[in-house]
Amino acid sequence: MDRRDFIKASAAAGATATLAGCGNPENQLIRLIPEEPLAPGIATLKPSICSLCAAGCGLQVRVMDGEAEVVRNGEPGILQMALAKKLEGNPKHPISQGKLCVRGQAAIQATYHPDRIRQPLRRTGARGSGPFQQISWDEALSDVVARLDGLASANNQRALGFLTRPLRGQRQVLVSLFLQRFGAPPATAFELFGEDVLREANRQSFGYAQLPTFDLARSRYVLSFGADFLGTWNSPVAHSLAYGEMRQGRPGIRAKFVQVEPRLSQTGANADEWVPVRPGTEGVLALGLAHVILKDRLRNHSAAGRAGELIDGWSTGLQGFIPAEVEKRTGIAAARIERLAHEFAEHGPAVAMIGGAPLAHTNGIFQALAVNALNALVSNVGQAGGIFFTPRPGMGATEATGARPLRDVAAEILSAASSPIQVLFLNDTNPVFGTPPAWRAEEALRKIPYIVSFGSFLDETSILADLILPDHSFLESWVDDVPEAGTQMSVASVAPPVMRPLHQTRSTPDVLIEISQRLQRPLSLQWKTYEEMLEAAFGALPEKSNPWEKIQEQGGWWSESPMHQAQTTRVSPRNSTRSIDAQFEGRPEDYPFHFLPYASQAFLDGSLAHLPWLQELPDVITTAMWSSWVEINPTTARNLGIVQGDVLEIKSSQGTLQAPALLSPGIAPDVVAMPVGQGHQTFTRYASGRGSNPVSILAGLTEPETGALAWAATRVRVAKLEKSDTSNPLILFSTVLGDEAKHR
Amino acid sequence: MRGRGGTRSKWKLGILAAIALSVFVSFRYQDSLKGQPATPTPTNNVFSPAHSSLPQAISHFFGHQPEARQPIAFVHKVHVNEVQMECVDCHFTVARGPIASIPDIRTCWSCHATTLTEHPEIRKMKDYYDKGQDIPWQRVWGWVEESHVRFNHAPHIREGIDCKNCHGDVSEMTVATRVVDHTMEFCVSCHRERKAPDDCVTCHY
Repeated sequence: MDRRDFIKASAAAGATATLAGCGNPENQLIRLIPEEPLAPGIATLKPSICSLCAAGCGLQVRVMDGEAEVVRNGEPGILQMALAKKLEGNPKHPISQGKLCVRGQAAIQATYHPDRIRQPLRRTGARGSGPFQQISWDEALSDVVARLDGLASANNQRALGFLTRPLRGQRQVLVSLFLQRFGAPPATAFELFGEDVLREANRQSFGYAQLPTFDLARSRYVLSFGADFLGTWNSPVAHSLAYGEMRQGRPGIRAKFVQVEPRLSQTGANADEWVPVRPGTEGVLALGLAHVILKDRLRNHSAAGRAGELIDGWSTGLQGFIPAEVEKRTGIAAARIERLAHEFAEHGPAVAMIGGAPLAHTNGIFQALAVNALNALVSNVGQAGGIFFTPRPGMGATEATGARPLRDVAAEILSAASSPIQVLFLNDTNPVFGTPPAWRAEEALRKIPYIVSFGSFLDETSILADLILPDHSFLESWVDDVPEAGTQMSVASVAPPVMRPLHQTRSTPDVLIEISQRLQRPLSLQWKTYEEMLEAAFGALPEKSNPWEKIQEQGGWWSESPMHQAQTTRVSPRNSTRSIDAQFEGRPEDYPFHFLPYASQAFLDGSLAHLPWLQELPDVITTAMWSSWVEINPTTARNLGIVQGDVLEIKSSQGTLQAPALLSPGIAPDVVAMPVGQGHQTFTRYASGRGSNPVSILAGLTEPETGALAWAATRVRVAKLEKSDTSNPLILFSTVLGDEAKHR
Repeated sequence: MRGRGGTRSKWKLGILAAIALSVFVSFRYQDSLKGQPATPTPTNNVFSPAHSSLPQAISHFFGHQPEARQPIAFVHKVHVNEVQMECVDCHFTVARGPIASIPDIRTCWSCHATTLTEHPEIRKMKDYYDKGQDIPWQRVWGWVEESHVRFNHAPHIREGIDCKNCHGDVSEMTVATRVVDHTMEFCVSCHRERKAPDDCVTCHY
């Protein structure tokens, strides 16, 4: 066929197709009667709270009419309803102040996700294999109630377990009350990048068991030990805003910012100076700085008070931390240590922070206490430009006492003949993905006879469940939160649903209340709905000028001005046996590299990998997307004969993974780094089978005082894979790598 | 000669391919008209603004809008002339926002629960109502997405433009029909006449 014939034929085909395309094929679904009055085309703004990370940013949601494909009474149809269309920061909210991070912007996809669980499911196939059957809520709740009644009649209430992501606000109160009234042990909270180490250190140093807030807007010198406070750590939106003020909000004053970390993070890339310290020696460096400050009489040791007393040798001037000694341990030149110490002490207000990997070593508490003492030495706690602790409104929220860490619970299940937990409630946490293989979390979960998940998506953990009771998305339910950090005001956020539920889901707090009522021996919770509980809790807040309606309308309650938080218990036994050296799994001869997993800007700990907007988000530093990669220093790579895009095999004592190499000058020569988040086996169509999971080769070491996973304590060896695996290529936004490699 | 014969057979092949394609397309179209899917699975199952079918994409590309076939023979004439209703009585939001809005069945039902209940068209409405369904009105006016036109009713109503100017004399119609051609020239000439803005971004944004 010549070209002219081809064109004629295509034109004929096109014309026929056009004719066939007439008519209106869109109305194949029935239209359901709208459930609410609507003003089409007119948007309203409603408050909500972002639930994707622990920062608790207040949201402003644009809500407008739209058509949603839904199922009502078993029949699919098109329903015209008010739909959330766009998320922004709530301008009135003290944390987000009208701003929102990239993950918050993408949070809307969690509601409209095509792989959301739409109604209760019961497992029909072998555990973990996948097949589920759709059942009604009545049937599902009868199942759960029967199981719980079974435990109660056998007088075995302690066999009910509750495994959850860390909860706050009234959700936490409700879960605690439910478990307590039933007679079950407290809930076990699990989060890969949990902050228990820092909370414990702050409790010991300052008497506040919570994350700190930094008054960056008034600081003149910021020294950050591994804290990615502009990207993924603590309250990034609030701290980014304050950081902007610090750099550009004061004419004539531009504070200095020094980042101490072996891998240059997104936050580190903003710093004036990068100090690539040896992993696990950040605390030693902090004490080296303190030593210089004391030695040169820039401050007196007694200025640090309790926080200083916790450090061995503090009152005698930290003689073990002379700069030459610290240089040997940390790899930072003695002269530089002297200079940094002088800058820190002489350019106040100065603040030091520690977060992320430095806390994820076996000596995490020591490292945090050292940085706390450095802060206390320059007297910046509760002072302008220093550290603050967000005051908590008194709303009956209690610190969970007696809760055991997941590793211990798993070990107990594995060692017993039959699992001490007979029924497990699983709430929005994924330990099968997020724990190291040595903890054997999946094996332990498989030993539990009955698992109920409240998840909205099938992930590696909820696929093990026998029953799934899907929660509403946060836009469809009452939400509340008491932010732990990010502001000096006292804040309790709350917001009503911004839209009606799309699917046959139910809000988990309401499900718990309903279960508590349907038990043979009801648990006598005093509320009929979660809304009632929230109204009662917010009614107890001090300021009468804030009626419940106004609180709902603005998205929460907050104090008029900054408040000071009363300290909690300050006394703590001193642990003089605490080691200042970090332990690592793997001998340096066999495993020459430190392995540094880090919270991905897009996915945090991997719980957001199901959102396609975040999958296609280019990483800020590397521009990589839709994939996993291993960052390696160019010099190291050259010595090993590695070029960008080569598939590497990373081997630890615990396992092996493969990922393409990304050459980065922003990483120390003896460290390889990898973002956490990809490598899901089961997590919706967008995340399953993509990239590899660094947690799968981590050692099971923990920080001994808190039981928190020391996720930065693994050593690895790196080898180029001879037979190149093309199933997970490096995808960079900035270049098509395959072509570049060919031309090299 | 061999060459010519070869060309002819390729011609036939081309036509065959065209027929095959059109048959395929019309089958897909038939499929999509078969009514409700057997399983309660939504049709649009991905985050995508793409067209749900090839015919839809092609007809949008050519700006083709199918003639609306309404499920109920609604009589504008009677409602306007005999019942003396105003347009805004049903098209509630015409003065408030961009969309005039077609009322849902509850609005119709507020009168017709007791009015003309034995009329065959009203019975059709009752059937919908009893099944918990809205009336599947088809769109008459508007532009395909590909034209990137946005329109806001409210400022036109505030300016006092008669509905007739753009929608024809509805008081003489049964179901609404497209009696005015909303070409760009139609909009722009009126805008110029009344000294309304005629920048591109007034409508295309």
